[in-house]
Amino acid sequence: MLNQSLVIARKEVVDGLRDFRSVIASLLYALMGPLVVGLVSMAHPAGAQPGSSASILVGMMSVFTLVAAFVGGMNVAMDTVAGERERRSLLPLLLNPVRGQDLVLGKWLAVSLFSIAGLAINLLGFALVFATARLPVKIAWPGILLVIAFGIFPLPLLAASIQLLISTVCRGVKEAQTWLSLIVFLPMGIGLLLVFFPAARQIWCGFLPVVGQQLQLEVLMNGRQVQLLQPILLGCATVSLALLVLLFAANRLQRDEVIYGN
Amino acid sequence: MIKVLELGKSFDGRPVVRHLSFEAPDGAITGLLGSNGAGKTTTLRMICGVLMPDAGSITMDDIASSGDPLARRRRVGALLDHIGIYSRLTVRENLLYFGRLRGMPPKLLTERVDQVISILGLESIAGRRTAGFSQGERMKTALGRAILHSPQNLLLDEPTNGLDVPTVRSLRNLLKRLRDSGTCVVFSSHVLDEVRALCDKVVVISSGSLIAQGSPTALCAQAGTASFEDAFIKLTCQPENYLC
Repeated sequence: MLNQSLVIARKEVVDGLRDFRSVIASLLYALMGPLVVGLVSMAHPAGAQPGSSASILVGMMSVFTLVAAFVGGMNVAMDTVAGERERRSLLPLLLNPVRGQDLVLGKWLAVSLFSIAGLAINLLGFALVFATARLPVKIAWPGILLVIAFGIFPLPLLAASIQLLISTVCRGVKEAQTWLSLIVFLPMGIGLLLVFFPAARQIWCGFLPVVGQQLQLEVLMNGRQVQLLQPILLGCATVSLALLVLLFAANRLQRDEVIYGN
Repeated sequence: MIKVLELGKSFDGRPVVRHLSFEAPDGAITGLLGSNGAGKTTTLRMICGVLMPDAGSITMDDIASSGDPLARRRRVGALLDHIGIYSRLTVRENLLYFGRLRGMPPKLLTERVDQVISILGLESIAGRRTAGFSQGERMKTALGRAILHSPQNLLLDEPTNGLDVPTVRSLRNLLKRLRDSGTCVVFSSHVLDEVRALCDKVVVISSGSLIAQGSPTALCAQAGTASFEDAFIKLTCQPENYLC
């Protein structure tokens, strides 16, 4: 039932917000990109970057944004399943009349909220840097809002799903931390590949989750004309993949080894 | 009331519970006894609906529910070997969370949380976050979670572990009160004196199979021993086990 999922999500959000160290770490991760770009822009004042350097800078900014979408909810994701298993509170939770899907949905809502918050803080940080440093970046209004809403914001939902699935496989926080830290390299690696090897960009790449978001962000930050259909299709593909991964996570939670394996 | 019939469970091809049948009636405390690895915890987990049996059936309150674990979870309150509680939530918040998950109406839930806090003597720490709680305080909070929704069937897996003497005594009194009010209590323990003092019926398990069942006095008579401990040893130990 959705009601039970909301009860779980509410508890996880309260629990996550009370974990100050994790909140501060996520905040720092989210603001890392704007801070780095802001510092670079201070070292090389407005207009100083020649064309190719500006393009790489824009590419790097989009990589930072993708990473922010992945790290915003990472601590909550590892705490909410692997952490529960380690603290031996997962079994008491599973004793309640809650379906596996509802349980995972509740936890996913909470992790997604933190991931979206990380992404939003990152984008606001970049907006502040754009406004103050006068970077060679032209924002295409109002297309940016459409792209962010439909193309970019589904990415934290996918990130939350993947992180939850990994968290259900791990027996403890340390194990989850190892794997989830590696997952951050997914957007980072894809982003850097596209920045340094532009030949890897194909039209169909624009519809692939993570890759598509990177390309959309670059379109935005370069001030190019935004296509209406592409972000919507990309968003649908990303959300569909997120739900599929979530089903795997729910299925995984119902397996015997989750109960007796700890 | 819980009826278990021909229950079976294997992990990785290794049988843990085999053809286990017993009945735990309402208004009685049924003890589940067995050595380490006998299959008590697995049996309790199957009854609770967190593990699915490979064979056999479980009937709870005359409703067959082998294939519907959610139906069993609705009718049961359990304190199994995992007593984790949320360290960043207070005792009251922990209880409210589990009450909400069970769909208890807000007014009833608030009343019941106050009642449980009072029954378990948790008033002084009810508003404190549970991080840093002693084992006894954690156990009491977990016990509160198990009885919060006034379940008809209560399953407890070694509930006195780590508790001090006064708390053990108050737990015994609580179990007796629940029994007298008609609750079906199933509880496993290694403390034989406790089992003898509390249980109306004892089910003895060894290597996942039923060895004997009956009242503690009947089991002593069956084993031909004067003490309950001797009866347990005689019933469960294999002749080749040098520890027996």
